[in-house]
Amino acid sequence: MEQIIANGLYLGAQYALIALGLTLIFSLMNVLNFAHGQMYVFGGFVTYTVVVQLGLPFIVGLFASAIVLAIMGAAIEKFLFAPVIRRSKRDESTMLLAAGIAFFLDAVILLAFGEKQRGVPKIVNGVFNWDMRIIMPYDRILIGVLAILLIVVFIGFMNYSRTGRAMRALAQDKMAAQLMGVNVARYSMIGFALGAMLAGLVGGLLVTITGVNLGMGGPTSVKAFLMIMIGGAGVISGAIAGGFILGMMESVGLTVLSAYGDITYLVIFATLMVFLAVRPQGLMGKPWG
Amino acid sequence: MTNILSVENIELYYDHIYALKGVSIDVAEGETVALIGANGAGKSSILRAITGLRPLKSGRILYQGERLDGASASDIVRRGISMVPEGRRAFPLMSVKDNLLMGAFTRTDKAEIEQTLESVLTRFPRLRERYHQQASTMSGGEQQMMVIGRALMARPKLLLLDEPSLGIAPKLVQDIARAIVAISRDEKVSILLVEQNSRMALSISNRAYALSTGSIALSGNSRELMNDDRIKAAYLGGEL
Repeated sequence: MEQIIANGLYLGAQYALIALGLTLIFSLMNVLNFAHGQMYVFGGFVTYTVVVQLGLPFIVGLFASAIVLAIMGAAIEKFLFAPVIRRSKRDESTMLLAAGIAFFLDAVILLAFGEKQRGVPKIVNGVFNWDMRIIMPYDRILIGVLAILLIVVFIGFMNYSRTGRAMRALAQDKMAAQLMGVNVARYSMIGFALGAMLAGLVGGLLVTITGVNLGMGGPTSVKAFLMIMIGGAGVISGAIAGGFILGMMESVGLTVLSAYGDITYLVIFATLMVFLAVRPQGLMGKPWG
Repeated sequence: MTNILSVENIELYYDHIYALKGVSIDVAEGETVALIGANGAGKSSILRAITGLRPLKSGRILYQGERLDGASASDIVRRGISMVPEGRRAFPLMSVKDNLLMGAFTRTDKAEIEQTLESVLTRFPRLRERYHQQASTMSGGEQQMMVIGRALMARPKLLLLDEPSLGIAPKLVQDIARAIVAISRDEKVSILLVEQNSRMALSISNRAYALSTGSIALSGNSRELMNDDRIKAAYLGGEL
């Protein structure tokens, strides 16, 4: 039991970070970023390149993926999403664009990093063992703690910084935010960059445990959508709740349902369908961001 | 008296339907000017043109003697124009505190922002009581006070108020009218007030313009307009 909870928390923290980035972009721009999973994979490969190929410390790799993905996110927003949003009145246009970027990034990853599974060596050795009740390698604990720390920093940033406040204002009422002097174009770009950066950071964290490969992008995007549907799209608390709930469900499913074969996600999808029929706006969903 | 704002012969279209054709209005330093008229007469369009939310078809807008039309909405705030939009447009999930701080978004002088915050909370004691409460949980009247306070946080030289009495309980409309008078008296701010409640608007303004289908039908001293038979018939009616 304790083991299941510990695994769920560890997974949930990573998932929540991914969902936070996705929900931030959604709430600011009404864009569903189908390329979010690819951004995560890209971040993993950047960390791998810096740590394994260049032989630099892990922390440098993590920073590198944060910076690379933030720049990538800003560029994608400024040169692709912003012009499309300006010209098109239909939401489908940005969805198609996001799907196109997902395929494009898959191709870039294949060309730049190849099709092989890549990982980095353990950053700390040893296994934590609490009386055989919780057994968890120290590197997993470290990564889990780092993820939770990043969530806390993100929430603090959104709540107490001037930039964070402006992004919340923009998500809640774009016109009123404009009247306060918020430059919509600039803050949409900052928000997208931040969302992409979060995806890159999770990639950098998880490459040390599970490694990354080309095929992980799409499924990760799907999982991220599940999380924000559970929690409620565009709401920070919803993304965190959705992340931890999915992490916990996976952890329970993999332990309890393993006897029946690989049906965890079948059960999760079925449960989610029933849940969304009853509560389509998700747990914390509200009409505004 | 010098004009802080001159709107000169502006035209504005929504798609292909005109909202304003050849409208000119002036606001002098320290003056409160009311724009009255029926729903759809173009009152709010004038404010949207001033704040840069809507582009002009022709004409120009001068603010402190310089061109204002064509500037971005965020530039316009920085130059000292704050707007309280129609329907309040509070940030619903933010606390009163964060809503007010958003009003000071273009300012970076931390100590002085604190001072302005303190003066706004003194002016609207209700906001101090609700300081950490989420905006969406407050009544319409309280939210209206809050968004007026939010606009004052930018320390504007020109304050634009779009239908501040709309959807507010009659008793609170008086409070809001008093607050507007007090703001005009205490702060060095000129006010352009758009109101459907013509009686209220005329009673607290120095001058007024009456709009009808996109152009100005009548203008003059508010007290005189209040007794004008045409205004009485068209705008004051029997209401209130």
